[in-house]
Amino acid sequence: MGKAAAVKTPQLSMGKRKAEKKKRDWHSITFQALFLLPALAFLIIFMYYPIIETFRTSLYQTTGFGPARFIGFQNYARLFASEEFRTGFVNVLAWAFWSVVIQIPLAFYIAFTLVVYKTRITGFLRAVYYLASVMPSAITAMLGRFIFAPTFGVISSLANRLEWKWLASIDFLGNPNIAFWSLFAMATWAYTGFSIVYFMANIEQIPMEIRESAQLDGANLWQYARYIAIPMVAYPIRIIAIISTVGSLKLFDLPWLITGGGPVYATTTLAIILYKQGFVNWQYGRAAAVGVIIFLLSLIFTIAQFSFQRKSGELD
Amino acid sequence: MLRKRIWVTLFLLVALLTWVLVPVSAKKVKLTVWGRDLPDDDPAHAYIKALVEGFKAKNPDIELEYVALGDPGLMDKTKVVMASNTGLPDIFQSWGGSVMGGYADAGRLLDLTKELKDIPGSAAARQAMTWKGKIYGVAPFFAIAGIFANEDLFKAHGLEIPKTVAELEKVCDTFLAKGIQPIAVGARDKWPVLALYMYLTNRYGGYEAFGNAQARKARFDSEPFVKAALKYQEWAKKGYFGEKPLSEAYGDAQQLMATGKAAMHITGSWMCAQYSDPGFTDQTIGFYAFPILEGGKGKATDIMGMTDIGFAATRAARKKKDAVVRFMKYAMDPEPCSAEPGRICSVPGVKSPSRLNAMASAVFATAETVQFWWDQDLPPMVTSPLNDTMQNFFLPDADVKKALTQYEQLVEDNIGPVK
Repeated sequence: MGKAAAVKTPQLSMGKRKAEKKKRDWHSITFQALFLLPALAFLIIFMYYPIIETFRTSLYQTTGFGPARFIGFQNYARLFASEEFRTGFVNVLAWAFWSVVIQIPLAFYIAFTLVVYKTRITGFLRAVYYLASVMPSAITAMLGRFIFAPTFGVISSLANRLEWKWLASIDFLGNPNIAFWSLFAMATWAYTGFSIVYFMANIEQIPMEIRESAQLDGANLWQYARYIAIPMVAYPIRIIAIISTVGSLKLFDLPWLITGGGPVYATTTLAIILYKQGFVNWQYGRAAAVGVIIFLLSLIFTIAQFSFQRKSGELD
Repeated sequence: MLRKRIWVTLFLLVALLTWVLVPVSAKKVKLTVWGRDLPDDDPAHAYIKALVEGFKAKNPDIELEYVALGDPGLMDKTKVVMASNTGLPDIFQSWGGSVMGGYADAGRLLDLTKELKDIPGSAAARQAMTWKGKIYGVAPFFAIAGIFANEDLFKAHGLEIPKTVAELEKVCDTFLAKGIQPIAVGARDKWPVLALYMYLTNRYGGYEAFGNAQARKARFDSEPFVKAALKYQEWAKKGYFGEKPLSEAYGDAQQLMATGKAAMHITGSWMCAQYSDPGFTDQTIGFYAFPILEGGKGKATDIMGMTDIGFAATRAARKKKDAVVRFMKYAMDPEPCSAEPGRICSVPGVKSPSRLNAMASAVFATAETVQFWWDQDLPPMVTSPLNDTMQNFFLPDADVKKALTQYEQLVEDNIGPVK
């Protein structure tokens, strides 16, 4: 009896357990759905729907008033035919390229130096470098204008006082060949702080033993940086590269506030064109087309970067 | 018992009266007005402050909610609500012209022709707030473009205010030789370039030049536009606008005038307040009409102008038209208008607050024709490209004719080809 009961009990309990498990599963699914739904609704309403709607709008000619007219891909064709758009397109790609080529090595160099030559003022210097990153763009732009202004600017006044006519004669914001680089210099100062702090945190994670063994093997600082530090922080470097690239494609604040995209179109960007088309020129369809292009470019760069990382096994 | 009844009856009566009367007295009409400037103590905001405070004091039955949105916040937000047709204010600050016309065409504005047609004011200001024969608002202040000249510098160098373009060039050459920037412009901000270009085009092609191009009877790269652009570029090459005109913002141009580093500033009369403020400048500055071009078609009495401060009403206010009209009428009342320290008032009976303002008003009084500022008169889709195009005038190697042809193509795409 005791044996039979011992055999029967597990059978019953197993069925019961299955039913309970099923019930629990349903509860779990409902529970999960309840948690997921708000986020999902938020994503659909505020992200996926606007993306689809932007793409749809980009196929119409509309001022925002009255009926919109379907014109297929004409907005895109007109954009690529306009000098302003082509210049803006080239500018953001150049900005992305130089951000990766100049800003990232510079940030790494500063971060590496600060970590290797750690002193009592390292913490203070970290704060100093990071300060520019926490400043609002409007303030950074004001500083930029204050520095580069033609008559009353810092550089101009200093050059005049020192009688350096060659420096005083440089038109930092008004010469189409120089304006881009003046802005880039401001951006490098403003945006490198974040990369420096991020790289410092990662370089500091490299175990001390590795550095000591490298020193025992006779590696100098350059070799330590080249063969140990850079490979060990390769992933953070790529993350910063993605952030810089995508940020460049969306660049708006500094060029808009310092030069307004000028002279003529010398410092215009895709985001400036989007703003002007939508809010100034009343060309919502064309503004949406610029938005779609920025979105696609960002997507392409991000996918390319992640697939590169997947191939090199970093995401496994 | 009787006493108790009396008290109860009295209490009920008071309660009844409170119930009936309080909601009536509390039911104020709410009027939402969107403006650019804060109603604060800044002298440039004196009119807005007087308008808001005066209207509230004189109209206790209307709850006025004035919202200052700044620049370009006012234009951006107005555009968004007009497009979505939701959240419209009752009244918004407007510069009239084609932008207001776009809103009117979309059915967003309130037709106030009947109510406002008899309000005294200048014809140009009324015209600015009229679109397709209907009046949508009022413009208590109207700006004209002209030359602000530093009279001290002219006197010190024995120069007369130029009456012709040739004289203007001679004056500029003299100032240049003395190391003084002849003309401050603020080309970095793009739009300030337009004032001089409008006048040069007018002086070459006459009043019809722009009107014909706008009506698509002529191209924007036709003779007067190209000649004016070439003249502009020639002056830029000579250094009339300084060594770095494209780096100079509008604020920089004002500073150059205020400190006596520049001799002239060709811009709108809205600068009268600042240029006559001893706290802003210690220079003696006068306002003069733009010179004529000998052999050109334009006249000295062809004046470029635009609404300086204006208000238009939206369809959202159709059920409170009375309150809207009261606001519009008060906006055109000499009382708040007298608080303005610099702008040219369209309202008769308001005294000029300064010598400079009187000079600008006198130039305005000579106007036989008033050409609206192009960027207020052209449709929005072609105004910012015009401002971009004009920056080419400051590049010595730029092909200005080609730039104007590209602009014409853009106009053809958006407005239509020349008929």
